[in-house]
Amino acid sequence: MAIRNSGNMSITEEFAAKIKRDNQKERIMKLAPVIVLFALILIFSIVCGKDFASLKNLVAVLNQLAIPLLVAIGLTFVIMIGGIDLSINGTVGMAASLVGIFVMNNRFTQFNLGIGGILIGILSSVLVGFLAGLIHVYLRIPSFMVTFAFMYVCKGIGLLSYSGEPPTILDPVLAELPKKSFIGIPFITWMALIVLGICILIQEYTAFGRYIYAVGTDESILSAVGVSVKKVKVKVFTLAGLCFGIAGALAAIRLGQGQVNVGEGLMFPAQAAVVVGGTSLAGGKGGVINTIVGVLVMRVLSNGLVLMGVNPYIRTGIEGIIILVAVALTVARGAKVISK
Amino acid sequence: MKRIKSVIALLLAFIMIFMLAACNKPAETTETTEEPKEEEAETTTEEPAEEPAEAEVTDYRDFTIDASKIPQEKLDTTLYLAVSVRGLENPYIATIKVGMELFAEYLDGIGQKYEMQVLDSGGSNDKEVDNMRQFAAKADGNAIAYADPNENSIAYSLAEAMAESGGYIGTAWNKPDDVGPEDLTPNWVIHTSPDNVINGYEIAKALFDAQDGKGKIFVLEGMMGNTAAIDRAKGLDQALAEYPDIEVVGRDTANWATAEALTLVETWLNQNPDVGGIWCANDNMATGALQALDKAGLKGKVGVVGIDANTDIVEAVASGDAVATVSSNGYLQGGYTLAICYAAWTGLLDVEALPAEFREFATPATVITGENVAEFQSYSPDFDFSKPFGCKAD
Repeated sequence: MAIRNSGNMSITEEFAAKIKRDNQKERIMKLAPVIVLFALILIFSIVCGKDFASLKNLVAVLNQLAIPLLVAIGLTFVIMIGGIDLSINGTVGMAASLVGIFVMNNRFTQFNLGIGGILIGILSSVLVGFLAGLIHVYLRIPSFMVTFAFMYVCKGIGLLSYSGEPPTILDPVLAELPKKSFIGIPFITWMALIVLGICILIQEYTAFGRYIYAVGTDESILSAVGVSVKKVKVKVFTLAGLCFGIAGALAAIRLGQGQVNVGEGLMFPAQAAVVVGGTSLAGGKGGVINTIVGVLVMRVLSNGLVLMGVNPYIRTGIEGIIILVAVALTVARGAKVISK
Repeated sequence: MKRIKSVIALLLAFIMIFMLAACNKPAETTETTEEPKEEEAETTTEEPAEEPAEAEVTDYRDFTIDASKIPQEKLDTTLYLAVSVRGLENPYIATIKVGMELFAEYLDGIGQKYEMQVLDSGGSNDKEVDNMRQFAAKADGNAIAYADPNENSIAYSLAEAMAESGGYIGTAWNKPDDVGPEDLTPNWVIHTSPDNVINGYEIAKALFDAQDGKGKIFVLEGMMGNTAAIDRAKGLDQALAEYPDIEVVGRDTANWATAEALTLVETWLNQNPDVGGIWCANDNMATGALQALDKAGLKGKVGVVGIDANTDIVEAVASGDAVATVSSNGYLQGGYTLAICYAAWTGLLDVEALPAEFREFATPATVITGENVAEFQSYSPDFDFSKPFGCKAD
């Protein structure tokens, strides 16, 4: 655990008492994102009644959860090493466009590669993540700058790929997938959950996962024990690219169309979700599990506000204020932990 | 302790915001119907300019670009052609580019030297003006452009950027009422637009008629603050006033985007699975609505309307899954605007003598329904650019 600054503890008892208080508060604050989530669910259940608290709406929320969740998972790792990834809108859009083109579709009949088309889409995004990581690490350019540039590159590739009219997916299997579900949970959400599971395993049970925390906490520790910080960083960006690519592929399947636009507006809600979940923007703290809560908060929020029929002219504003409140709650907790 | 207190305070604030939002709900329906009316004053389109057209002037409609009268030096000068647009990811905008290419074929035919390019603003006002300025400067007066201003407010700046270098520009769709081509004669040649209010109204009527004039509908509006979004919604509200048995049970903006439309309709369908129709301010959103209906097993049972005539929605109209869409004919807008500017650049058209009704006018739009969809699908743009005012509606 990093010790960023020391308080003014001069007397031993006071110090001990403070630690005790802090530990208590920490336990309470650690639950803050979950409390926010349950508060939202409770309030929407009261205000919207059956419209919100129904199995059908739960399925709709789960359906809408998959893509933001995947994006936020990828971003979580990047934020945990103290970086940022702004390429999301582009990479997701590019992956979706390429998937649309390389499966059976109404525009490019010559490219029907089936599952291979999906892989091309995902791999394109993996490659971009890898390149962004390399450039960030070896040319020493800040990650936000590199990824910001890649957002444009990817959007360009996506746009060029179908030039104008987005391809509608005609592959009978893929066209049916958004309607498929298993024990009530939509297929697309299952795919996201599988990726989530793998990412939790990576984070919790592999050396790589521990290195991610270490890089975010203090890079010099890793260097001291002979682990290449650079390699860890490149791997993290590549992993993020994989998550964004899968998100893009699923977005194309969900829409039934390969559009570069599906990436629009994904990035900042994902950043907010990661932070609301309790991952520190300074790196080293939080993780994928926190992000699940963060994404749920964001999804439930926008679902609930739509169901309430809040005037669209003020809905966006309300959404912003609630996000601010949620972040205020959870960041307060982060500050506590870091300073102590 | 202090921190816990502040947490509680924040939570209270949080709950209060919700109460506020909740209180807002009953007011919402009236508010949204009022909203467009407030905008009415500032967003009236160029209809007034059209009225006296036919009575006095018919000759400009027959105005012809006579290639033999174009000086050889003009033909040998490289003319720069551009369409300035929001971004080619929108299928409708892609047709504007095709319109430019069709016009370029015409230039090939008469032996004009040219270069063409697309100025992509990516939805940014500043970028669009900068693009135009750079393009105009490069061409040094030998430029003609079609511009779709990203927002009303930049129409004048765009025209000014072109005027400074001596090139010729025609704008489309967005422009404030208090400025117009006549402010920058001769370089701002024309401003044209399909009538958004009428388009919004026509698809609404088509939808309501398909529902036998009764039932629930969802409304997906365009980006708030956009002229096209406001005017199309205004058209919808006019139609709603004529069909009292139509009930709007969900109304929100999906920002012209497919994914947002899908999410909204998915959510609303849980509340109102008995919905009868979905009005969308463009076809991208109609695509999302259809996908949501498909998931719920309601595709083909719930009417969907949009605007733009995207291929997938035209196909949906043909198969009966959608009720109507509107073709604004981007080929025509892009191609003819450039043709009129070309006539001005060659000197064949005296812009100063051009009557007001040929400076600002409406371009034709076609409502596509089950009846005429086959005709539309077999449509391939074939224009006679030597008669550039052939693009004027009515």
